[in-house]
Amino acid sequence: MASEYVIEMNHIRKEFPGIVANDDITLQLKKGEIHALLGENGAGKSTLMSVLFGLYQPEAGEIRKNGEVVKITNPNDATALGIGMVHQHFKLVDVYTVLDNIILGAETAGPLGFLKKKEARKKVIELSEKYGLNVDVDAKIEDITVGMQQRVEILKMLYRDNEILIFDEPTAVLTPQEIDELMAIMKGFAKEGKSILFISHKLNEIMAVSDRVTVLRKGKYIGTINTKDTNKQELSNMMVGRPVQLEIKKDEAKPKDVVLKVENMSVPSKLHKNDAVRNVSFEVKQGEIVCIAGIDGNGQTEFVYGLTGLEKMSGGKITLCGKDVTNSSIRQKSDIAIAHIPEDRHKHGLVLANTLEENLVLQGYMEERFQKHGFIKFDKVRDYALELIDRFDIRSGQGPVTVTRSMSGGNQQKAIIAREIDRNKPLLICVQPTRGLDVGAIEYIHSQIIKERDNGAAVLLVSLELDEVMGLSDRILVMYEGEIVGELDPKKTTPQELGLYMSGAKRDGKEEK
Amino acid sequence: MLRVDPTSGKAKWTGSASFKSIASAVLSILIGLIVGAIIVVIVGLVSPEISNKSIGEGMKLVLFGVLSTGRNAAGQLSFGFNAVNVGNMLFRAMPLLMTGLSVAIAYKTGLFNIGASGQYLMGTTGTITTALVLGNTACPKFIVWILAFAAGVLLGALWGAIPGIFKAYLNINEVITCIMTNWIAANLVSWWFEAHDVFKNAAEGGKVAYTIPLKNVGVVTPKLGFGVLTPGSQANGGFWIACLIAVLMWVVMSKTTFGYELKACGSNRHAAKYAGINDKRNIILSMVIAGALASAGASLYYLSGNTEFYWSTYMSLPPEGFNGIPVALLASNHPIGVIFAGIFMSMLNIAGLQLKYLTPYNEYIADIIIAAIVYLSAFSMLFKEILNRREKKSGKHVGPNANAEVENRKEFNEKEVVDMIEAEEMAENDETSAEYDAKMKAKEEAKMAKGGTV
Repeated sequence: MASEYVIEMNHIRKEFPGIVANDDITLQLKKGEIHALLGENGAGKSTLMSVLFGLYQPEAGEIRKNGEVVKITNPNDATALGIGMVHQHFKLVDVYTVLDNIILGAETAGPLGFLKKKEARKKVIELSEKYGLNVDVDAKIEDITVGMQQRVEILKMLYRDNEILIFDEPTAVLTPQEIDELMAIMKGFAKEGKSILFISHKLNEIMAVSDRVTVLRKGKYIGTINTKDTNKQELSNMMVGRPVQLEIKKDEAKPKDVVLKVENMSVPSKLHKNDAVRNVSFEVKQGEIVCIAGIDGNGQTEFVYGLTGLEKMSGGKITLCGKDVTNSSIRQKSDIAIAHIPEDRHKHGLVLANTLEENLVLQGYMEERFQKHGFIKFDKVRDYALELIDRFDIRSGQGPVTVTRSMSGGNQQKAIIAREIDRNKPLLICVQPTRGLDVGAIEYIHSQIIKERDNGAAVLLVSLELDEVMGLSDRILVMYEGEIVGELDPKKTTPQELGLYMSGAKRDGKEEK
Repeated sequence: MLRVDPTSGKAKWTGSASFKSIASAVLSILIGLIVGAIIVVIVGLVSPEISNKSIGEGMKLVLFGVLSTGRNAAGQLSFGFNAVNVGNMLFRAMPLLMTGLSVAIAYKTGLFNIGASGQYLMGTTGTITTALVLGNTACPKFIVWILAFAAGVLLGALWGAIPGIFKAYLNINEVITCIMTNWIAANLVSWWFEAHDVFKNAAEGGKVAYTIPLKNVGVVTPKLGFGVLTPGSQANGGFWIACLIAVLMWVVMSKTTFGYELKACGSNRHAAKYAGINDKRNIILSMVIAGALASAGASLYYLSGNTEFYWSTYMSLPPEGFNGIPVALLASNHPIGVIFAGIFMSMLNIAGLQLKYLTPYNEYIADIIIAAIVYLSAFSMLFKEILNRREKKSGKHVGPNANAEVENRKEFNEKEVVDMIEAEEMAENDETSAEYDAKMKAKEEAKMAKGGTV
């Protein structure tokens, strides 16, 4: 008798020396359903997928396809069973065309070894049209948007006639509109009878698109429930293991004096001759959180570089606490007023090879309290590090002497936040402060940022996360192609309207023609 | 929640890390020596003029050459404290130690100084020129000594600055500029001494292209105890100076804000810049220091007085410069470790000479053995990695932090580890670091689980 499920992973147990990564996990995927796999970072989702793809052999448990036990010993077995995956980080060759990328690894060739591209091309175009993917098969990967690249990955699975499609955190890189389109595409697949496994920790999307949800926590199977019988709060509680504050709670902002004033700022681009940031002007006051929203790559990074001094501006004026700092060095600006939680914690935020305590004084090692005649007072650094570790609950293997490379992303971020917040500067610049972190850590970091605001700091938040933008900020400035195209009040706007601004469809209150 | 005691935590950590550094260095030395001994055997077996007895003697000399005291009345090799050998070993270690230090400090600040040879040549030129010019004046000799040393160091520092400037402002890889400045230095130095007859040693017949030894103008480094410790050897106070500089560099690099800045810049230039550190200035300073150290080695060597410089170097570069690289590698770039690594390298040199004098082996064999050991010293990194992996796999810990690790391990059971696919992806770029990250992440989460997300 044929089984109700196309793929079953029953009672999977996967151990690593001394660790149980998957402890009795069961995941059953029905034909034609969208099944969400929910869990925090490190909950065991990826290990489970690795087992499904034959990268690991489970110690216990079985995998069944259509009710029959199958043995998957390597990824080729998985492909042969019709399982395909869109990875979070795309596996595409940038300088190849879309078509070349799709057929790569599944080429059909004639007797002399020449590629039969014509047939492949026909099949790809057919698939693209059938599912409304609208992909230009001759474009080079480097020239198309991230959203399109993802569709190429999807086409790769379709081209290989995969019946079971796995999406690993597919929405992390997409705009709200692209997310909506992806959801529609996924639903289309399900209707066609394909089965979809959707790995995510974004509750909105899971609620919107999935039929059932399986929740994992810390390697254990928590449960599988029908999406329509649950809600976001229940899911997040299951995922984290304790009640989580999903809504960001904050009082009304009470803006006071202007801390940062930017006039007509322009910053050159590294990629092209035009300025990446053009003529940007705004103010940030004490006690408010101003958010620069926008799709990745619209000049936010260069904007922050220009503001902090990491890049030279090509024009404009910056006033910090009443002082003209347009031509000041990074050190001068940071001494006067700037605490900066950088976008890339590995590139700018931490010296990964150094210990936690060394990193905690990265901005302050030259201060009187940590050095005397050029000699670092290591005992004072240690005391300070212990204090911050305690106050901000930074967890690590060996306390202050842990090499930061070995710490988890969330705790690395906490270390940076501790360091920057403790500097007590009038202006706190947070660039994507919660990127890649899980629900618990995000909740904590948001509360810290709000606390800073309430203590009178001016907070400039740069974020790509819509929820964060809507929930955290007191004012929203939307950046599109290097310009500020609109100022919105988060209480009066909707994510959809914000999305229109972010994609350039709307500008200064008017629809673009 | 488990928290490692902060004070003992430090001790545990460094204890384990330096243990591994030393263990891996010793391991590569041992394997190098074994390989050297094997070469001696093979060469002995294929050469008809080398008897089996000589092969045995050759192996003994490779291992204990520095303690060789020649042959006794019965024609047997004799061993014991040989003051001349030991002194000469320390003397030859002196320049190696300095170039090793130069490479090590540059490496710690994220730069690969392959230009030590050129810097060494510039140091040689500055020192010899100053000493020979001022040596014939009424200037007191110890002042000439100081000025000659300073001139050599200064010239080497400036020479080191060139790749630094190119790196800082134009982002040109220092390896390329270092190689180019090496050859520029070689030719520049040849031209300088060729063009100025006053430096040429014309007094001794048959010597072509040698400079006048500095003892001829009375500029000689005092023995500072080596006259008593190792009478008859070339060793002099320069060795103490080199050791002092090594200790000084250790203090600067590990205790001062300046060292902190240099290291931060070296490990992550972007983060250093973000923290307001002047990255360009620091890159140049790193190379200036590296240049100064390498050239100080040359200065000390030629200020010994009885050393002559063969100045027609436009075809070759001084080996001291390149030998600094294996010295630094063997020492895991630790300034104090460099002292011992330098001494070890020169010990091989002495062993090679003994091999040549006391057995039918020719001098080239010694070079081959040295080369084998130098080659294997590059493996010390690999051995370190192997030590790390063994530790990971077996769960047994070499370092004294085994207890803490075992405790962590107990907590693992409740825990999931790894973003395996992530780790897999990262592995494509950097396998070991990915593995390490994944492992540490697991440990971290184990802790969170126990500490409880309360």
